[in-house]
Amino acid sequence: MIQAILDAISLGGTYALAALGLGLVFGVMRLVNFAHAELITLAAYVLVVTSRLPFIISLILAVCASALLALIMELLIYRRLRGTGPSIMLIASFGLSVLLQRIYELVFGALPKSAVVAPWLSGTFKLGSLTITASSIATIVITVVILLVMGYLVERTDLGLQLRAAASDFKTARLLGVRANRLITSAFALSGVLAAIVGFLMVVENPQVQPMFGLNVTILALVGIVIGGISSLRGAALGGFIVGGVLSLLNTWLGNSRVYADSWMFIVVLIILLVRPGGLLSKANEMERV
Amino acid sequence: MSILKVVEVSAGYGILDVLFGVSFTLAPGECLGIVGPNGVGKSTLLKTIAGEISPKSGSIELQGAPITRKKPEDIVRLGLSLVPEGRQIFGGLTVAENLRLGLTGRLDKGSSKAAIQTMMEMFPVLSSHADRQAGALSGGQQQQLAIARALVTDPKVLLLDEPSLGLAPIVIADVFEQLKKIIHLGTAVVIVEQRANLVTSFADRTIILRGGKVQATLTPEDAKDEEKLRRAYFGMDE
Repeated sequence: MIQAILDAISLGGTYALAALGLGLVFGVMRLVNFAHAELITLAAYVLVVTSRLPFIISLILAVCASALLALIMELLIYRRLRGTGPSIMLIASFGLSVLLQRIYELVFGALPKSAVVAPWLSGTFKLGSLTITASSIATIVITVVILLVMGYLVERTDLGLQLRAAASDFKTARLLGVRANRLITSAFALSGVLAAIVGFLMVVENPQVQPMFGLNVTILALVGIVIGGISSLRGAALGGFIVGGVLSLLNTWLGNSRVYADSWMFIVVLIILLVRPGGLLSKANEMERV
Repeated sequence: MSILKVVEVSAGYGILDVLFGVSFTLAPGECLGIVGPNGVGKSTLLKTIAGEISPKSGSIELQGAPITRKKPEDIVRLGLSLVPEGRQIFGGLTVAENLRLGLTGRLDKGSSKAAIQTMMEMFPVLSSHADRQAGALSGGQQQQLAIARALVTDPKVLLLDEPSLGLAPIVIADVFEQLKKIIHLGTAVVIVEQRANLVTSFADRTIILRGGKVQATLTPEDAKDEEKLRRAYFGMDE
């Protein structure tokens, strides 16, 4: 039971970070960036490919690669499409996602690439009669630290204030001097960093990296954003945590019927949306885009 | 010398033209009113000056420097701030955070704290609600916050779009009393209003906008002649 709860917190935390990364970009651009999945995948590939290097170097390379790809996406594609309609942006993000998957397939092959990343996290330890995996504890600690850092950044810094304001009403934020390009670039860079951390947490649990490695967590994180409140960063993190946590608990409790875990999880999502159609923390549904 | 010069500005939304060759100038410390019926382009004019809408033709100068087609975030740094229609305060942020956001567009960062302190003194209600969510303020308080937030950017020209919208008469009087102080301190102010009488009697001069064009200019004296005001507003002399 304790392990199941730890797993739920651990997976919930991972999904919260994925949702936060997506929410940062959605907040400033009203763009659902499906290619966020490929940022996670790239970080996971870099971790696997560089697994022989000292861990910290490998992690820094993964974070840099993911953040750089996020910046390239913004500068080369999304910035040029900013004046177009939301549907065009959405289709562009789909297209970019598929394109990157094919590129990964060409570069790394269609079969999973595997390596033990951070072997010191693969052990277990006993707490009384309980056997607890080190990775679940590490994931919780890392998630809490990152969420605290992100919380500080979003709540206490000028950048965070501008991100929150832009997520609510970008037009008015610009009238007050918030620089659109700089803020959007910062949001993409941060989402790349968060995607790399999600990639790391996932690859520790499952070191079989293939071109669609980040897709499932991204789709479920999007569901988390919707139930948390689409225009709120706190809501995104909370929604992601709920989705990940519920999914993990269902996987444990359903036993042999775990194949239906997703279906039950979406029933929970539907109930939440029926009770709170705007999401758990959403107050207004402001949808304008820069 | 004019602090704001708008010359033959035409603007609109996509293929829809709204403004047709609008021109006016504004002197430092002057208050200009813009009135006209719904849909004549009053808000479009302010948005065009503030950089939200790119003009199709014409030019706009602020303190002698061209600002035509500049981004809103650059224009605010040059000294022009817009208080948009409906106030558009950030309801999820606190009053203090709303004011702090105004510092983003302020060039003189050294006096940031003093600027917020000045606003708190000018609008005491904001001081007593500094840590409260801005969305929980009353309409009048929100309007004061929107004006204070714009003033934190240290504007030489302040544009206000319908500052009396949705406010009770007594609150409107309060807001205009504050505006009087702001103008007295040397800030040039442009007020767009539907209440022609109110703004015509308040501003140094008022232009009537109809069909996207400047149709007449009125003085505070004209506010006393309701018939003249009505004829100018609705274009009954044409």
